Amino acid sequence: MRLIGGGKCAELVRSFDWGESPLGYPNDWPVELQTLVAVMLGSLQPMLIVWGPKQITLYNDGYAAMCGNRHPQAFGRPFGQLWHDIWDQVEPIISAAYAGEGTSMDDIAFTMHRKGYPEETHFSFSYTPVRDPWGTVLGMFCACNETTAEVIARRDREEQHDRLLRILEVSPGGIATLRGPDHVFEFANEEYYALIGMGREIVGKTVAESLSEVVRQGFIEILDGVYSSGEPFVARGVPIELNRGPLGEPQERIIDFTYQPMSDRSGQVSGILVQALDVTERMDEAKRVELVANELGHRLKNQLAMVQAIASQTLRNAKDLRTARRVLSERIGVLSAAHDTVVQGGPGSSRVRRLVNQMLAVHDDAARPRFEVSGTNVRIGSRPSLSMSLILHELATNAFKYGALSVPDGRVELKWDVVGLHKDRFELTWIESGGPPVEVPSIEGSGSRLIKAGLAGAADNRVEIYYEPAGLRCVVSADLSSFQQEH
Amino acid sequence: MGSFKPRLLVVEDDGLIRLDLVDMLSDQGYVVDEASTADEALLVLGETGGFEAVLTDIDMPGTMSGLGLANLAFERWPSMKIVVISGRYNPAAGVLPPGARFLAKPLSEPLLQRTLTEVGVASPSSD
Repeated sequence: MRLIGGGKCAELVRSFDWGESPLGYPNDWPVELQTLVAVMLGSLQPMLIVWGPKQITLYNDGYAAMCGNRHPQAFGRPFGQLWHDIWDQVEPIISAAYAGEGTSMDDIAFTMHRKGYPEETHFSFSYTPVRDPWGTVLGMFCACNETTAEVIARRDREEQHDRLLRILEVSPGGIATLRGPDHVFEFANEEYYALIGMGREIVGKTVAESLSEVVRQGFIEILDGVYSSGEPFVARGVPIELNRGPLGEPQERIIDFTYQPMSDRSGQVSGILVQALDVTERMDEAKRVELVANELGHRLKNQLAMVQAIASQTLRNAKDLRTARRVLSERIGVLSAAHDTVVQGGPGSSRVRRLVNQMLAVHDDAARPRFEVSGTNVRIGSRPSLSMSLILHELATNAFKYGALSVPDGRVELKWDVVGLHKDRFELTWIESGGPPVEVPSIEGSGSRLIKAGLAGAADNRVEIYYEPAGLRCVVSADLSSFQQEH
Repeated sequence: MGSFKPRLLVVEDDGLIRLDLVDMLSDQGYVVDEASTADEALLVLGETGGFEAVLTDIDMPGTMSGLGLANLAFERWPSMKIVVISGRYNPAAGVLPPGARFLAKPLSEPLLQRTLTEVGVASPSSD
């Protein structure tokens, strides 16, 4: 037998000690074997011949590469020795070939140790029985391809795809993919279902069919536009009605969304990536912040108007500019302190008692108290609390200047309570005693005018000043619910 | 000819601000009546005729806001001028009756005077 070329395995055939082999010398081989060995050694495709009852193995350089470090020891030896570690898988198909039955497989996975460590490998191959002219099986011929690289690359792509899907799945926004000109759902993540309504069946169906309520809201036209133009569509704060209620009833949501065209390899648009973010709660929050800002602006303007009125009253009735400056700064100081009690406790926490205590801290002497104070723990709204502080301050200032507190033995009784048949009015009474003879003032000072201006923000509020012989008496009263209301 | 003193109604629930506004207008020579709610204002307007203008706050206790009062006053006394004053907001178009004007708190005296002239309230004279 004359071997032409054939690479390293051909050298092996030439140098092998065939005298010890059950096959004998190549020149004595049957013509079938000689022909196949010539074909095999001449082919670039990995090939294998298993011959005779001892299943002696011959292969070419291509197959040798698949054998790793088992080559060249495996050459010319029984097939079982070559693949001893996977023999349970190989034995059935080699036996089938010997029994006259061919086998063809696209992908067989083997764990091989051909490089000295366990290695995952994949092959496609066919085992073909080889017969003599009378039909007896002499051996097996195998042409094969190692597909390990392709299989692993394919699996990497699939893993990457799965990983992407998992990322999309846990994305904080709703994501869905649509395929084709009719926008058929391919995929949707949890957030997308949370937006459209849990448990709705959309995958495999068109948008128009599975989310029929969006058709009349114009979303299909937008999708059609993106599909035909290839231009993405982005919109923010869009109201959408979705049948997402527990019983499929419609609910209004506000969404930010993007329709991104997806192209195939040829550059043709083949689908659309949908990203949708439910911003309903965020929009509610933004509205609330706007409301609070408006409310603050309103309060500030009202307080400026109040300060303006106090300033103009002070200047209008002042003896001279120096006095006006002092009186005005005192009055603004009182407003500021009252404001602190509103801000510190938060809205609705201001109490009449605290306002009274602020007045006492300025006007009473703890070592020798001149006020007798009694009152319930009544809550007072922010607007009335500013006026109440001012009224208490002006009453005390007047008492020191002209009234009971202008003499050492004079006293003030201060009391307040919820009164009325239906307990629906607040009433505070200021009673002076032990002072000088009471006179009705000939000119009304700015203090009296500020007192008589009453409680801002409280309905049906009244201020009565009685110049009684025993001492001045002042009664401040108002409707309780508006007195306590936060405006 | 004698003095000419147009009559105005100030409607404001905050006594201090009402007091100041009344002082401001009285100083300019107007005759000024006051009310602390829209309901009270309607009573005054009904009982005492001859008001040249009404100046009203918006947020007030009672059954009606200043906007309600402005619109009702325009229906009942179409020749009476209307100025709406608030610290809260500029009312949207169409909320105020025709010819009415809005002023934001706090008020400035010159702006108040100018606005009254613009809505057609005659200036007081004392000759």
